[in-house]
Amino acid sequence: MNPVLLLMGLLVLSYLGSFLVGGRTSRGAGLPSGVEYVALGFLFGPHVLDLVGGDMLASFEPVVQVALGWLAFTVGLDFGYAGEKRVRPGSLLLGTLGAVVTGGAVATAVWFTIRHLHIGASTRDQILLAGGIGAACSETTRHAVRWVVERQNARGPLAERLNEIAHADDLLPLIAVAVLFALEPTPAVAVPLPLRDWPAITVGIGLLIGGGASLLVRSELKLDETWAVLFGVTLLAIGATARLSLSTLTVSFFLGMAMAAFSQHGRELRAMVAPTERPVLLPALVLAGAHIDFQSSPYLAVVATAAIAARLVAKLVIGWLMAAGSPTARKAGALVGLALMSSGALAISIGLAFALRFPGQVGDTVLVVAATSALFGEFVGPYRLRRSLEDAGEVDRAAIPPAGAQGAT
Amino acid sequence: MSGGAAAVRKGLGHHAVHLLLLVAFGALLFYVTRAVPEVNGGLWMITAIGFLLLAGTLLSELLMPLGLPSLTGYLVAGVVAGPYVLNLVDVQTVKSMSPINTLALALIALAGGAELDLNALRKGVRSLAWATLIQSLPGLLLVSVSFVAVRPMLPLVLRELPWGAFLGVSLLWGALAITRSPSATLGVLAQTRAHGPLTTFTLGFVMSSDIVVVVLVAVILGVVKPLVDPAASFSLESLKTLGHDLFGSVALGTTLGLFIAAYLRIVNRQMLVVLLVLGFGVSTVLDYLQFDALLTFMVAGFIVRNLSNQGQKFLQHIESTGTVVYVVFFAIAGAGLDVPLIRVMWPVALIMAAARGLITYAGARVSGWLAKDSPMLKRWSWSGMISQAGLVLGLAAMVAREFPGIGPPFASLAIAAVAINQLVGPILFKVALDRAGETSRVEQPSFSSIRPPAMPG
Repeated sequence: MNPVLLLMGLLVLSYLGSFLVGGRTSRGAGLPSGVEYVALGFLFGPHVLDLVGGDMLASFEPVVQVALGWLAFTVGLDFGYAGEKRVRPGSLLLGTLGAVVTGGAVATAVWFTIRHLHIGASTRDQILLAGGIGAACSETTRHAVRWVVERQNARGPLAERLNEIAHADDLLPLIAVAVLFALEPTPAVAVPLPLRDWPAITVGIGLLIGGGASLLVRSELKLDETWAVLFGVTLLAIGATARLSLSTLTVSFFLGMAMAAFSQHGRELRAMVAPTERPVLLPALVLAGAHIDFQSSPYLAVVATAAIAARLVAKLVIGWLMAAGSPTARKAGALVGLALMSSGALAISIGLAFALRFPGQVGDTVLVVAATSALFGEFVGPYRLRRSLEDAGEVDRAAIPPAGAQGAT
Repeated sequence: MSGGAAAVRKGLGHHAVHLLLLVAFGALLFYVTRAVPEVNGGLWMITAIGFLLLAGTLLSELLMPLGLPSLTGYLVAGVVAGPYVLNLVDVQTVKSMSPINTLALALIALAGGAELDLNALRKGVRSLAWATLIQSLPGLLLVSVSFVAVRPMLPLVLRELPWGAFLGVSLLWGALAITRSPSATLGVLAQTRAHGPLTTFTLGFVMSSDIVVVVLVAVILGVVKPLVDPAASFSLESLKTLGHDLFGSVALGTTLGLFIAAYLRIVNRQMLVVLLVLGFGVSTVLDYLQFDALLTFMVAGFIVRNLSNQGQKFLQHIESTGTVVYVVFFAIAGAGLDVPLIRVMWPVALIMAAARGLITYAGARVSGWLAKDSPMLKRWSWSGMISQAGLVLGLAAMVAREFPGIGPPFASLAIAAVAINQLVGPILFKVALDRAGETSRVEQPSFSSIRPPAMPG
């Protein structure tokens, strides 16, 4: 396939994606994780139909990095906010704790599995593999709760709590990615620095550029100048970090977070940037799918099973903790934690970032497990979320459109 | 304390912050390029685009109190960040950013076409016809004469040419000198949002001069070739191909314009993506067909404006997308300016640029008198004709290809002269628009005026 054709295809996807955020009727369309686009990319990719070859994927790497960085920027800008409301401290704590428990459980399970199966050429590779899969599997996609809430017309304290948790669990996985990327600094770097400094530099670059950008948008900039500043700082941060072989995802996330925190126009910024997320996400998911290689390791199925099982258990524990602390969650039953099983954009972004940074067994395995986990989450998460909200009495059954009408959306 | 003084102080504070941040972002980039000297291909291009976007935006803000157009800020940002000053953006990266130029030129041509109102053009057709005639023929000849006059100052290869060949080269120089810059014109108009007779005249002139120049250069190349290269014979064969290309471009542009008008009428959503598809996809098709992209897009914009009622809507879409692209486009142009070459060639390039400027001015006064233009148009119509950009560089490269013996020094001189016109032209045009009272006083929408839509959790 000609690169221009691929670019056109991605633009068409982006065009379709923009319609998916357009009107209420289409909000519930597709799957919350967007895993169907990953499947589409896999189908077109070099390992199935080969319409998009390996060389072309390599030539599109800058586009992918920008897309991933922009997505992380939007996540950072939105971090700690559910819609226009600030996430309550309790939810922030639960979200962070949930990410630690889930990521930790998954990383531990994967670590023991790969040690047992002797996967990975070195201990460093094994750390990268376990840590990467842990980071990719620790979040709950923000879109999942919104997806179910929109479809079921659910309103209530549990829906609100789950929504807030989904908006507050992205911080730790991205810090973990920064640490893991720092384990293998670029050999081209002319300024020697201790290993422990690189994650701090990653976060620092994001915060500094974000702080600077906040100062810029503080003044009465015109709308198009504001876009120029947003694009400019994001591209600068992505490119500079990529040159240092650090995590572009982390730097962009902290850039967004800093802008939301330091700028008095955080609300306006979120309103400006939010509509761009879906149009960028769909092409990124397709390109992620094209990178997937199921042949990269004979133990993929075992590693993926271990990761997903650990994730399932971790979510059950989180649900149990929620139920212990909240009467509303208790009403939803013991399996309420499984409502948070959906993973999606960020998980696959982390997987893709690993595939680009550590090509070969490590990167490919992280990406495959991230995509498989997102797929599995589709079967469990939305269904369990709907059941939990029903059990908690937060679904307005009268407002749910009939099945036929819903299918048409 | 007066409000005005407070505003000035606040303005100064903001400018100081902008300057500091610009330096800080530059320092970050400088550190990264030194920390990791190895360039990471495409990704570094992304960084360069980001920095040029920021630097161009901030520098244009900083230069605004001096009355300079934003475009000058973008160009200066590119020059400073470019390979010959700070080398934050190296030569290879500048070259690799050509897709941005393709997109920008498509948007510029679309906007240029969509700005051309048929009724206004009809009213000013006499002025346009006289200006085109005077600037293209006597203008071309007089610039050629001035080239002959500076013969002793020219690079050795050129001044040692036999007289016949030298006259041919002079004619080629004259042909290059009558090219204008639609991009610079549109860039200044996008910032000033100017409207009025001078705006309409300049747009009409600059846009139509593209076609005139392409035809003239083809004719002159045919005439000059036997003078410079004794082995070649007189041939206007290229005109046939050119005619085919021009006709094809107009036909395709018309179809494209009708399609855009229909899309705007029926769908009218996600024009950003549609414009990207037009900029990248259609440009590739045009390149394959060897049609003139500038002409095709200009005709498309013209059709949307004049054969449908979607013109204003279309212009708004382009403006909202275009600003960001223009910043990068002009900053890349600045980064591409060959500063060492200008340093070597500046005396003769400056003389040539000044001669061209004077001849353009005199030609505009004469054509204004012949067309019985308004005093304002007589006084300022030359101002939009000074800027030169990509087209002349393309033509210079073509000349260098056709005449390898004299090509490199000829192209170098052209590049140096264009650099001067590129920097001075937009400033003159903005001054003229301000003096003519055509610069819009309406404030552009500010960022803080956004009303965030209700966002679902």
